[in-house]
Amino acid sequence: MYSKELGMTSTPTTPASTATSGGTSSAAESRWRTRDILVAAVIGVAFGVVFWAWGLAWGLFAPLNAARDLLYAVWLVPAVLAPLVIRKPGAALFAELVAAGVSALLGSAWGPDTLLSGFVQGAAAELIFAFTLYRLWSFPVLSLAAVASAAAAWLHDWVLYYQDVAIDVQLIRGLAMAVSAVVIVAAGSLALARSLRRAGVLEGFPTDG
Amino acid sequence: MLSPIDLTVRQESSLLGRTNPVVKLAVALVWLVGLALIRDPVRPLVLALAAIVAGLVLGRIPRAKLIAGLAPLVAAAGSIALANLVFAAANTDPFAHEIARVGPLRLTAEAIVGASAIGARVVAIVATGVVFAQTTDPTRLVDALVQHARVPERFAYGALAAYRAVPQLGQDLGTLRQARRIRGVAGTWHPKLLVGLLVRAIRHADQLALAMDARAFGVGPRTTYRPVGRHWRDVIVAFGGAAIIVALVVG
Repeated sequence: MYSKELGMTSTPTTPASTATSGGTSSAAESRWRTRDILVAAVIGVAFGVVFWAWGLAWGLFAPLNAARDLLYAVWLVPAVLAPLVIRKPGAALFAELVAAGVSALLGSAWGPDTLLSGFVQGAAAELIFAFTLYRLWSFPVLSLAAVASAAAAWLHDWVLYYQDVAIDVQLIRGLAMAVSAVVIVAAGSLALARSLRRAGVLEGFPTDG
Repeated sequence: MLSPIDLTVRQESSLLGRTNPVVKLAVALVWLVGLALIRDPVRPLVLALAAIVAGLVLGRIPRAKLIAGLAPLVAAAGSIALANLVFAAANTDPFAHEIARVGPLRLTAEAIVGASAIGARVVAIVATGVVFAQTTDPTRLVDALVQHARVPERFAYGALAAYRAVPQLGQDLGTLRQARRIRGVAGTWHPKLLVGLLVRAIRHADQLALAMDARAFGVGPRTTYRPVGRHWRDVIVAFGGAAIIVALVVG
């Protein structure tokens, strides 16, 4: 297969890492192949485009008010999808930052704050994956990472955008974002990864068997 | 619509266009932190005005492009200000000054001031972002990040290579939507489009990775084709940017 040849050519020194590794990771596999970098980056870029469009639409959802935050987690998908596919340290932060950077360069409505948001959202998810030593990729772990990312976004937005909002509304917002994170980010990433695997584009990446 | 911003030669050769992108990024982020500290409606608007004037004069951004870039600002600032107005803590504070009552909603003077301050903050953030995006070439940004901000080069150039796929992704999206329409699937936007888009994007990434590995990407030391130098204008932009935000935060 094309993708297996690719794996061989990109890591001639560790041919073992080209085989599917059954969800475990060791020190040798924590080095990023060029393919890992590019796949994480295009996931980031594709979502950067989604972010850009979503950012333009976001203002139009204003009449939904606090319920709008049920849709919030679209901003957080690359921070879970990319590490789920690549399973390398740093994938959450890298993909979320690329997505944020791309949407900023396309002219996002949030300017330099897209980068700051992307950083805190990616870093929070990264932290959870680091605690599992990048070995656990079950739905509960993905949910935890998604909720951590949402929590970081919630704090960031509180300070920057919702400073005057009453505390009970803040808590409702946080709850809506957490629900959104579990449904859209965790379940959504699992579904997307499954579809991608079925389409055959993830050969040479680790699977849970 | 969906295409990376094209900079004209005039924009690229302007003072802001030639400033080290890392310096501009640093100024934008420092302004962001400063804006979080400002809690009135006037000073953020002064900052937004400074950004727009700098973009027009020092960045030579064509007026039409600037206005088009600023358009999303209205919805963004409006929606954030509205949320702060309606849900303001001040509205339930019995000591706050009531201005109007709309059904169950009590609007207070304090809430209006607070909401307009945050709306103004969003205006300033958007204006800064537009001026940055309209004076910065992505390739030069990545060069500068690698050369001056110690961003790991494999990741930086990998991301740049992927970014080049944006117009292609736009075309793919168009094709996927046409394919759905031919099959008679109602509704033009569907989450399933994302699967198709990601499949195309990952195939593209595989090809890019193969091509880059074939050229020994990231193996051994790298020579620099486009050095981003240090220049007096970087110092001026850095100090000018810092002076403006310090004056606004303190003043």
